[in-house]
Amino acid sequence: MYNVAEVNAEECVAQKGCRLCIMYCPEANCIQMDTTKMVATIVESRCKGCELCVVVCDAAKHNAIKMVAR
Amino acid sequence: MGKKIQINKEFVDIMPQDYLDLVENGTFESPNRGWKDFGTATELIAEHSLCAGCPESIAFRHIMASIPNPEDTVMVGSTGCTSLVFPMIAVHNIHSLFGNQNAIATGLKRALAVRFPDKVKDVIVLAGDGATVDIGLDMTLQSWFRKERFTTICFDNELYANTGGQESGLMQKGFLAKMAPVGKKFEKVRLPEIARESGCDYVAIMTASKPSLVEKVIKQAVLIAREVGPTYIQIYTPCILEIGKQSMEGLQEMRTSEAPGERFKFREFISPEAQSFLDGLAEKKKAEKLAATGATS
Ligand SMILES: Cc1ncc(C[n+]2csc(CCOP(=O)(O)OP(=O)(O)O)c2C)c(N)n1
Ligand code: SF4
Ligand code: SF4
Ligand code: SF4
Ligand SMILES: [Mg+2]
Repeated sequence: MYNVAEVNAEECVAQKGCRLCIMYCPEANCIQMDTTKMVATIVESRCKGCELCVVVCDAAKHNAIKMVAR
Repeated sequence: MGKKIQINKEFVDIMPQDYLDLVENGTFESPNRGWKDFGTATELIAEHSLCAGCPESIAFRHIMASIPNPEDTVMVGSTGCTSLVFPMIAVHNIHSLFGNQNAIATGLKRALAVRFPDKVKDVIVLAGDGATVDIGLDMTLQSWFRKERFTTICFDNELYANTGGQESGLMQKGFLAKMAPVGKKFEKVRLPEIARESGCDYVAIMTASKPSLVEKVIKQAVLIAREVGPTYIQIYTPCILEIGKQSMEGLQEMRTSEAPGERFKFREFISPEAQSFLDGLAEKKKAEKLAATGATS
């Protein structure tokens, strides 16, 4: 079992310019910007489950990411 | 001018999708490249085996997004955790024997200047603290004494991470590690000051907590190395594994260590020659901006 990050599109405020998780995820090409829906999107196969995206999203009080088991 | 990064048409159907993405959507030949490309463009770095949450990976991403001329850059790496990333970057790179990186970079930079006299070729060394300040210190210093024109980046995690936590010259005094159980007896080597005194025209000490600052520093360091003289950047990339932090705690560790009075508070040294070069660049940018607004109004 692995833990991976999952973005709740309802809560993500990327349309207002937030890019925090995309900036700080340690893995390259792992959180992508869905430019049509304007939400951050996790590429699960690249996610190592470190939870740093959750930390930065929560610190900004957006609470849009949670870890899920796969 | 044709695109420098192209794919041979015969190979299109057999190359992996990641490679095709890089050719189509990578940020080669982009004059304003930087961390803002994250999320929409393909980064010049692929899956690697560093630990989950390792700040070295964060710093690597920011650096690869910022180097000004990736298509004409050669990076030189050394043994250590960073060497696990080098096979996964889309920039030419050489793995050097542990500690030899600045000697290899010296020969490379000179050879590139002879082989490609009409082209701009940047050389960037990126190695751990063990490679830079312990085993490679001779090569590091000699390249600065000789004013070799390339950038040296040290990923300072204050110990030998890849071999399980031995003491390094950049470890803090009194620090205990798994394979340094007595505690370090000596002060952290002041390599930024040594770099300044040894001939570097630009020196910065920082953490990887602010992508915009990493971007600015990397661009300055590479451009100054190209035109003026050697440059040195020391970035705190804590080994969360060896200092007993969780995978999501690396960023906070960097922020704590760059507070006023702390050892990684951002500091910069710019020689007068490098400063006048930077001033010239700023002037040129201003003039270009003015010309652009003049042309549209
Ligand atoms: C010539 C040589 N000596 C010693 C080693 C063993 N060795 C491998 S990685 C390493 C330490 C690397 O430490 P550092 O440069 O700080 O990089 P880090 O892993 O901390 O990022 C050592 C001593 C080696 N591979 N080659
Ligand atoms: S940090 Fe949170 S709110 Fe911001 S872009 Fe990422 S998921 Fe959306
Ligand atoms: S859990 Fe870590 S690796 Fe996965 S998306 Fe979040 S920051 Fe990236
Ligand atoms: S051992 Fe330390 S420096 Fe190496 S990948 Fe893991 S966290 Fe990073
Ligand atoms: Mg180290």
